[in-house]
Amino acid sequence: MAKYFDVSVEDIFNTMEARFRVEGAKGVNAVLAYDISGDGGGKWLVEVRDDSVKVAKTDDLSGFSVKTSADAETFVGVNIGKIDGTQAFMSGKIKIEGDMALVAASAKMFTRYSLPKKSAVTVQGIFDTLVARFQPQNAAGLDISVGYDITGDGGGQWTAVLKDGKCALETGLRDNCAVVNSVKAKDYIDLILGKLDPMVAMGSGRLKLKGDMNVAMQLPKIFAKFEPPKEEEEQELIVIKRNISVDMKYSTGPVMGKFFEGLIEKKILANKCPKCGRMQVPPREVCAECRCWAGDMIEVGPSGTITLIEIIYYSSPDPLTGETRETPYAQVHILLDGIGKEETFWHLLKNEDLADTKKGDRVRPVWSDNRVGSVHDIIHFERIRD
Amino acid sequence: MKKHKKNRNVAIVGIGQTHHSSHREDVNQPEMIHEAVELALKDAGIGIEDVDALVHGNMELFEMVHQPDLWHVIGTGGYGKACYRVTTGGTTGATIVGVGDNIVASGLHDIVMIIGFEKQQEGHTTGGITNMADPLWARNLQTGALTGATAEKTINEFGADRAKRAAMRLRVTLDKHASLNPHAHRNFGLDYDQIDDLMVNSPQLVGELRLIHMCSQSDGAVAIILACEEKAKKISKKPVWIRDHVTVHREETFNMFGINENQEVTHHNAARKLFGRNGITNPREYFDVFEMYDPSSWWGLDWLREFLQLEGDEHLKMVENDEVSINGSFPLNPSGGVISTNPIGATAALRVAEAALQVRGDAGAHQIPREVKHALASGFGGTFWTVLFMLEKDLDWQEAE
Repeated sequence: MAKYFDVSVEDIFNTMEARFRVEGAKGVNAVLAYDISGDGGGKWLVEVRDDSVKVAKTDDLSGFSVKTSADAETFVGVNIGKIDGTQAFMSGKIKIEGDMALVAASAKMFTRYSLPKKSAVTVQGIFDTLVARFQPQNAAGLDISVGYDITGDGGGQWTAVLKDGKCALETGLRDNCAVVNSVKAKDYIDLILGKLDPMVAMGSGRLKLKGDMNVAMQLPKIFAKFEPPKEEEEQELIVIKRNISVDMKYSTGPVMGKFFEGLIEKKILANKCPKCGRMQVPPREVCAECRCWAGDMIEVGPSGTITLIEIIYYSSPDPLTGETRETPYAQVHILLDGIGKEETFWHLLKNEDLADTKKGDRVRPVWSDNRVGSVHDIIHFERIRD
Repeated sequence: MKKHKKNRNVAIVGIGQTHHSSHREDVNQPEMIHEAVELALKDAGIGIEDVDALVHGNMELFEMVHQPDLWHVIGTGGYGKACYRVTTGGTTGATIVGVGDNIVASGLHDIVMIIGFEKQQEGHTTGGITNMADPLWARNLQTGALTGATAEKTINEFGADRAKRAAMRLRVTLDKHASLNPHAHRNFGLDYDQIDDLMVNSPQLVGELRLIHMCSQSDGAVAIILACEEKAKKISKKPVWIRDHVTVHREETFNMFGINENQEVTHHNAARKLFGRNGITNPREYFDVFEMYDPSSWWGLDWLREFLQLEGDEHLKMVENDEVSINGSFPLNPSGGVISTNPIGATAALRVAEAALQVRGDAGAHQIPREVKHALASGFGGTFWTVLFMLEKDLDWQEAE
């Protein structure tokens, strides 16, 4: 199985159910499809439904809510934090089809994949220090070979040759060993680190000694104790999370106040500069260009002509509720009837009109039944189709 | 045109910028600022005791820390010094350099350090920008700084294919520039053969404004040290002179979308004033490099026309003919620009800093390959503000007047 950064694509998917966070998936019902190309790749479906998750390798990705395609290395790299996901997405290495918001949401649904903690001590590491740990004063007159048959993952075979007060290490087992230690790699590391008692290990058969037991008993003297390398602990950088929610109230003032009163009565009011004659909607206290008081209110619209449509695909928070806005939606700038040519009125377009409405089309406001003097007294503008 | 005479000359004598990234969780705010301050002091070869005053700026709505300059004194070294706190939206970085320029020119302080910073990952950028709009009306409608209006205007004027191609060509060019700048937050390794793919496949944000067109959200800080002429000549072998700067601001921009296309925008107005009062008749010829505040490729493309007072499709041709590339006749944003690196409160100050590095010849791998004597740098923000700077290598323009 191809590995990238020591992790295979299978590792990511096989641990996904265990990494599922119910609290991060509240209300999510979706099928996430993954098409991972390259060595070790494949196709997977991750179904999140009713606070549970099912991960399956498959050939058929149909029926997904969102599909993520990437090569195996990029996929693994992003999942373990070795590759920047945004960067990979922007440069086209990750492609997303369907409901993109789900990809961001999936970060909350699963805890990040982390590499299984490997012991810093390896069998190889122990043997790398064996010669240095040799105590010649305790091996005077010895002319023997000691064999080590360390089995399982990370194991190997070594022979320590002791002669003339010197120690040489060879890989492989010599035939003429005075004693051979046979033990699993994990148990051997535990023995060396003192986590496993040698008597217990022998008694339970996890450590087998073949040959001269007396030599075996001397080994702790012939070799000094193995000192594991000091692990440098990385400082965990604490991030404090805050969610600020504050009740606010804003004075509208007499000019905007009058405008909002107008909305309650289904009227759109503009004010007119007494000097240059331009109209402002919503009205502002002064004409900023002439720097004079612009008090006169005149009813305009309520219908008008679109001068610009902005179709929004990026879902941003609604500052009134904090809820993420549903996309796509459209903002429109409207030249209201009777306003002159200086000023457009900014509001939203009815979603049903989004597909076929363009600049120059005529629109009218759809009034809310519950008008209180706010931007929401107009629900949106709709296209006049007659 | 009324001449703009400074009380005394002001030069940039020290520049420091941090490593910029989407996540500077390795440091807190004062620690990040301290990085930039230390680098600027080292660059100037002076100590914090030589600095008379600080000007500190960012956008409070991003991190939701009010008066961050108080907390940041640990990092700024501002204890016991005069400190000015300025926040003018995206323009902040340019406004703080402008404030520094003014208070040194006035004679009030001899050496002033300006500090701009942002840690955007600590808050919500689009949410923060949306809250800049007036709470009575526009806030309910705005989507941060995202708009497709300029894309639509450019497409209507020059046709969809040419307009989209030019905007994406500019995007790729600036990505190539960013790849030369070790401080740049993002570069994607884009190439011109990807233009067709990106024009169609980069996700849409608003209309034809696509994800790849839009600037990044970065964490980072910049510090710039300004000095009066007398001190600058003592401190620095390569002082970069701030010849002039101008600020232009207007309201009601939301109410003019889609109409009055002939109305002068603030960039055009600012450039017209600045060039007029300094006798610059052909800015394209006069300036050797332009560090523009380009929040999106569509704006970058359109604003070339506004700043350089161009007519017709000259600005498109500049991009199509690669005149704006680092080896071209009018290099634009050799640093990679805002599109690659955007710690907002620092962003506009970075434009001035990068332009000054070009004048000094110290920009490194993204130094343009010929002498830079005259540089232009712009800031943009809020509901259409412009701040525009002219930097000079030699202190010789007074004689020309």
